[in-house]
Amino acid sequence: MSTADALVVEHLEVRFGGVRAVHDLSLTAPVGRITGLIGPNGAGKSTTFNACSGFVRPTSGTVRFGTVDLTGAPSSRRAHCGIGRTFQRMELFDTLSVRENVALGREARMAGTSPLRQLLPAAGEAEVVAAATARALALCGLEASAGERAGSLSTGQRRLVELARALAGDFRLLLLDEPSSGLDVHESRRFAELLREVVDATGVGILLVEHDMRVIADVCDYVYVLDFGELIAEGIATNVLVDDVVRAAYLGTEPVPVPGGPS
Amino acid sequence: MSQFLVYVVIGITSGSVYGLTGVGLVLTYRTSGVLNFAHGTMATAGSYLFYELWVRAGLPWPVAAFLAVVVFGAVLGLGMERVARRLAAAPPEVVVVATVGVLLAITGIATVRYTAATLTLASFLPTSSFEVGGVFVTWGQVIVVLVGIAVSAAMTYVLSHTRLGTAMRGVVDDPDLLELTGFDAMRVRRVAWMLGGSVACLGGVLIAPSIGLNPQLLTYLVVQAFGAAAIGRFKSLPWTFVGGWIIGVVAAYGGKYANQYPVLLGLPASVPFVALFVVLLAAKPGSLPGATLRKRITTERFAPLPPRATAVLVAVGAGLVAAVPGLVGPKLPVFISSAGFVVVFLSLGLLVKTAGQVSLCHGALVAVGAASFARFSTDLHLPWPVAVLAAGLVTVPVGAVVAIPAIRLSGIYLALATFAFGLLMENLVYRSFLLFGTGPARPVDRPALPGLDLGSDKAYFYVAVGVAVATAVVVAAVQRSRLGRILRGLADSPLALETFGTGVTTTLVLLFCLSAFFAGVAGAILATGTRGAGPADYASFNSLLWIAILAISGGRLLSSSVIAALLLAVLPQYLPAGVVPYQPIAFGVIALAAALASANRFDLVARVHGDLAGSARVGAPSPVAARRSADGLRSPVAARRALEGVR
Repeated sequence: MSTADALVVEHLEVRFGGVRAVHDLSLTAPVGRITGLIGPNGAGKSTTFNACSGFVRPTSGTVRFGTVDLTGAPSSRRAHCGIGRTFQRMELFDTLSVRENVALGREARMAGTSPLRQLLPAAGEAEVVAAATARALALCGLEASAGERAGSLSTGQRRLVELARALAGDFRLLLLDEPSSGLDVHESRRFAELLREVVDATGVGILLVEHDMRVIADVCDYVYVLDFGELIAEGIATNVLVDDVVRAAYLGTEPVPVPGGPS
Repeated sequence: MSQFLVYVVIGITSGSVYGLTGVGLVLTYRTSGVLNFAHGTMATAGSYLFYELWVRAGLPWPVAAFLAVVVFGAVLGLGMERVARRLAAAPPEVVVVATVGVLLAITGIATVRYTAATLTLASFLPTSSFEVGGVFVTWGQVIVVLVGIAVSAAMTYVLSHTRLGTAMRGVVDDPDLLELTGFDAMRVRRVAWMLGGSVACLGGVLIAPSIGLNPQLLTYLVVQAFGAAAIGRFKSLPWTFVGGWIIGVVAAYGGKYANQYPVLLGLPASVPFVALFVVLLAAKPGSLPGATLRKRITTERFAPLPPRATAVLVAVGAGLVAAVPGLVGPKLPVFISSAGFVVVFLSLGLLVKTAGQVSLCHGALVAVGAASFARFSTDLHLPWPVAVLAAGLVTVPVGAVVAIPAIRLSGIYLALATFAFGLLMENLVYRSFLLFGTGPARPVDRPALPGLDLGSDKAYFYVAVGVAVATAVVVAAVQRSRLGRILRGLADSPLALETFGTGVTTTLVLLFCLSAFFAGVAGAILATGTRGAGPADYASFNSLLWIAILAISGGRLLSSSVIAALLLAVLPQYLPAGVVPYQPIAFGVIALAAALASANRFDLVARVHGDLAGSARVGAPSPVAARRSADGLRSPVAARRALEGVR
């Protein structure tokens, strides 16, 4: 697998005081592919994820995107390097409309850290934002609800808004944190299909942390499995999910894994 | 040496009371997640009741103290628990407004009944003294210190060594999980608040003989408690008590120098704010309890009016403004002030309403504007418009300083840090040559503009309204600009904004500079209106009052600024004379009610769990229920259910 155009985590180690949350983890999430990161509660998925997006500082190890070392970079710099993320507890701009949410996904990056750019758009930026917003809304099927306040939508719709906002941001890799939590089985399946469509249409890469095995099985090209902060398996999704060690660690011994999110 | 010891004795005595009050504050904060700005006010209420029972009703002091501290303190605590329960899931500005509402109401009641004058209270503890190392120590002082140590130690023991204490520490993190272990979360909170209330009243009763009874002075005991709590990092009870001693001793020792150098006159009183400000700024992000736990769910705050409605409003507004001087006669000056206050509230609303940044030092910014305007216009004879602009510009760097805590802190800790900054300005800078000097007020002339005589109230009224309108236009434009969108994003989720590439630090500095500029302009308008600029108009207490009034004036930035200004400046002039003293009480009660009403929907978030979500509303799912179920896996109960489903 090429690492030139990918998010590469090498020998990641994260400790919180005496607790070792992640130990010697290496993974690669290439652009244009969907990479899954799964594991039971407390396995270190979120910690790994947060180390990738800059909310947790690794004790040791590196996080790179292509050739750029992002290990200690603040999250705004990661955004400028092309990495976007969503949140399990959705961080939408609740008082803004869906359209404004999606538009801000692009505009936030244009504003950057320059006071002048935060005050005034540069020439042509308004058109770029409008085009990116329209495209992302269309991809996620949100045109009809574009005028509604994000805070007033159902969970399923809010997940779509979060995805659309990230897509409008024109990132090369998206980190999605349990996007199907709070969705019912049907919505999860639809969401998984959408992820596939999005990757095919835009060529974006996705690193997906997920509880719902259906989503993982449906969309992931490659899967990493964590348990107690360590990598216990990796490989093609269909192979990994039938692996005995994985099932014992994550799913118990039931033959058919169908964990639906609570709704 | 013995001279140093004198200050140690004084400092440790008052420090014990500060520490004790701080311990009660931390206890209630840790168990409810609500930082109580009215904590010192509970001390006020307790000490006045003690005065009432002991001095006026003639009860023996132990009986009066028992009733005021144990019984009344517990009742007050219970009342506060009912308020705090509603606030558990509310965003910080709602918490601040609600507890400040309680503060205003109780302080107002005390002022109405006992006037704002300071009553002296004889010492009820023995005043006979003994000598240690050349220093005379009274038995009363010994008793105060011993009571402080004993009560704080007892509370520390309860919190760290008993089952109840474990429950108290757990209840704020996860009340549901606590209930699974067989505790009633509400009862645990009640006990904590009753203890907190009693300890606050104890502090008030112990310190009243040495500082006297004064509604505002005792209310500021909360600041000493904040300072002590900051040294305990808002979690450690023993360190909070020690923090009280540190503040007491440093303040007492500072008093010695303050007597020698008039510049440092405000220093002793400023020690707690300095401690608070420094600790908050130096604290590692996330190391203070609760700082990152609270998730804000914002209410609707911005919706542009349709153009036609705007046009009608503008026409009606213009007509009203034109008619005001003819209608109100001699009351015109208060309308001039209200134009100035519109600018104040616009600049404050930009922070609080648009961007969700709770700033409790706006009075200080306006003061800087007013004082520097006085110097530009009266001392340097700059033309009026130039002086107004210069006043705004001078205030900008001060705004940038206030942005520093905003960058490092959010929510309740930002409110605290700005509160401390405001008090610091008031105590150390207002009286210095930099701002108002030592006189009652700096005189301000009303200079003539070319072709316009500002000497008459009528002409100046139109000019002041013009400035307010211009400010409103700029603020409205900002709201519609890219910065406006970013600011609204900042209020909803700074995390998302940062993740998507905006440098939030830049945004905050811009925001505070912009707001400070208008605050400075407002200071100039107000000073010109009243022909003077004095420190009393911009006391820190006013900053609290402004936040509360703005909160009850509605959700739209422009209209709420006008309403707030009218409520603050004009309404009192039209009330019957006998009612005016009750106005702060009314403001306080309304602010509390408004905060609780808006907290109600946040309260719902806290209570609606998976099984309640269905009853929230049939048909359109409420955002509240939606969010709750989205967070389902985060809640231990839901997570456990989910796991049971899996296995």
